Amino acid sequence: MKLTGKWFSVGVLFIIISFLLTGCGFKDIDKRLFVVSIGIDPAIDSSKKYLISLKFAIPIIEEKSNESMIVSEEADTISEAVRMIKPKVDKEIDFSHAKVIVYNQKIVQKEIEPNLYYWFIRRRDIQEVSWVAIGKPSALDVLKLKPKSERLPSNSLFLALGRDGPETAYIIPEFLFDFKRRFSEKGLDPYLPIIEVNKNAFEINKVGLLNKKQLKLSLKPMETMALNFLLNNESKSALVIDDKDKRLVIDTKRVKTKYKIVPDNQKQPYIKFDITINGRIEEADFSVNNADIPEYEKLARKVTQENVYQFLVKMQKANVDPIGFGLRYRARHFEKDDWKTWQQLYPSIKFKVNVDVQIEDTGLVE
Amino acid sequence: MNRYFLYLVILNMLTNVIIFVPNFLIQYRYDGAIMSILIATISGMILMYLDSIVFARFPGKGLPEIIENRMRVPFKIILFVGFSLFWFTAGLITLLGYIDILHRFINPDLPKVWLMVIFLAAICFVIQLSTQKVVYLLEIILLLNGPLVIFIFFKAITSDYLNWDSIFEIGTHFFTPPKLTPIVVASYVFSGYTNIIIFNRLFKEKIKSINFALILGLSILNLFTSFLVPIGFHGADGAHEYMYPWIMTSDSIRLVYSPIERALFIFLMLYISITLLSVSVHWHVAFELIKGSYIKKQSKKKNWLVFACFIGFSILAVLRIDLLKPEMVIKFWLIARYFFEIIIVFCFFFFLRRRKA
Repeated sequence: MKLTGKWFSVGVLFIIISFLLTGCGFKDIDKRLFVVSIGIDPAIDSSKKYLISLKFAIPIIEEKSNESMIVSEEADTISEAVRMIKPKVDKEIDFSHAKVIVYNQKIVQKEIEPNLYYWFIRRRDIQEVSWVAIGKPSALDVLKLKPKSERLPSNSLFLALGRDGPETAYIIPEFLFDFKRRFSEKGLDPYLPIIEVNKNAFEINKVGLLNKKQLKLSLKPMETMALNFLLNNESKSALVIDDKDKRLVIDTKRVKTKYKIVPDNQKQPYIKFDITINGRIEEADFSVNNADIPEYEKLARKVTQENVYQFLVKMQKANVDPIGFGLRYRARHFEKDDWKTWQQLYPSIKFKVNVDVQIEDTGLVE
Repeated sequence: MNRYFLYLVILNMLTNVIIFVPNFLIQYRYDGAIMSILIATISGMILMYLDSIVFARFPGKGLPEIIENRMRVPFKIILFVGFSLFWFTAGLITLLGYIDILHRFINPDLPKVWLMVIFLAAICFVIQLSTQKVVYLLEIILLLNGPLVIFIFFKAITSDYLNWDSIFEIGTHFFTPPKLTPIVVASYVFSGYTNIIIFNRLFKEKIKSINFALILGLSILNLFTSFLVPIGFHGADGAHEYMYPWIMTSDSIRLVYSPIERALFIFLMLYISITLLSVSVHWHVAFELIKGSYIKKQSKKKNWLVFACFIGFSILAVLRIDLLKPEMVIKFWLIARYFFEIIIVFCFFFFLRRRKA
């Protein structure tokens, strides 16, 4: 094969162009500091509004390398704080791995300023799929945390919130884009998981429910699990059936929830929930008898129905709607003012919960 | 070689994301977008069918060959330069849109002019190829990217975070009367058929009706996907806040067990080749049309002059991009394009239908 002059010059041109393809946009990876998590606290004692903390990963080639560095700065806006952190570090700050954003509880308890989440959306380099959460006692404490089992900085949080690690119904992760959507969507309210730090471990088993402005309700772990079931998020959990004299734990394998808003033009509209729970008995404080399984199912049905009902009423009283009843109502009604109708309807609407528990077996023991 | 007609239309369907079609549709989500999409589908299909039957009378011939001996020279030059200007701007707008995206998301430190130069080098190489080769390239790139498009589509549709209630909420505004802007904007996905004026050189026989059936199905799927999936992800009341709804949507898809976690980068890679190809096809048409005006006296010098104009205009445009407001320009361009399409299709229909090949 002979290279003709034209093809030869094309080949040379492509080789020259390939020199332009230096990775990392003119700045090498060793001149960048990667932010892994961001914390937002109220400023402690200064005239500024917020204390912004960035946690940087420090890469070390070792078996366990969760070395990190936290730099904080007080400022009125996040951008100012970031610009003021820049001269404090020796490398360019890179947000492309910032995957957890933690708000101090006090920030969401007051009216949360929209720029505190719009900033992250507006920036091109922050992932839409980063997680947002509430930090307790403060966001900085969450960042500082280094659990023993953690191998990379902040990785334990990524694993816990991303469900790659534990599969549990007590954690309801929330992505940044979903959080922002829930602020603007009429009839769907935001929520945030709460990360609590005790000494050298964290605990994520609560969820804070917000209306469009501020934190309204902090759910207990059991309610968090119920919300998880209602959102059809994660099925694997343990359902504790606590009746006066009997205690029974069901290992849930599959939970499915459907709901319907019926009938709308009558005087007393109600929301009808159908929850199907499949599982097996894992523990009981009495001797389990295979023949009595229908009886246990009935008991579980009764107790769960009551719990879910109480939980729904609690949300209704706080006037928050994380499940999206309002949106469902809007999506099923053609009238222009369906949102207004719903706002009047929600405080007085009734709930009917129908739980169907199916106990498949009693584990390895008869 | 009928399937190439299908590819040309599919190419435009895929580029609609770059050219702000979803933005305009989302803007009109409560003001008749759905009805407009249906009307645009009908009008697009009719125009496409009319155009294809006109050109079916001239198998194997593009517009320059068809009117070679039927028009006086000055009139011909005006016609071809005018037409090619339209195709050139079509390509330019897509290119500017995508360069803006690349500049934002991949390399904010690289000046836009450099990005443009790199793109132009590749595009100029493609547009001077023969029509046959351009179409081969089109087929190869679409086949390579097809699985990626389908992958992102399925990931988006099956995501837990796609809220169907938001989509149905838009559905409840079905009966709102349609408006002109969304009709015009939605009809963009069909306009790939206009490239037939050059690519008819490859169509030796009448285009089979199976192609039209496929296009009808795909276009409806495409329009509703590019309009409603961002709404499902970002909310009926919030999706309009984003400048690039589809880029935000692809960034909202988390690929847990894939080598790359953010689907955004797969999406951007996919669109590099699709945009390059779309611009190349449009500019190939523009280039061939201009060549048609001096079809008898071809010379390399003239071709290079045309290239120089293309390159000069694009670099000028990228330098002055902040002066033109991209969204407004694109909106007006889309409207102008729609009426231009209607006029040329009907002109062709009445003037060329009765002529012998």
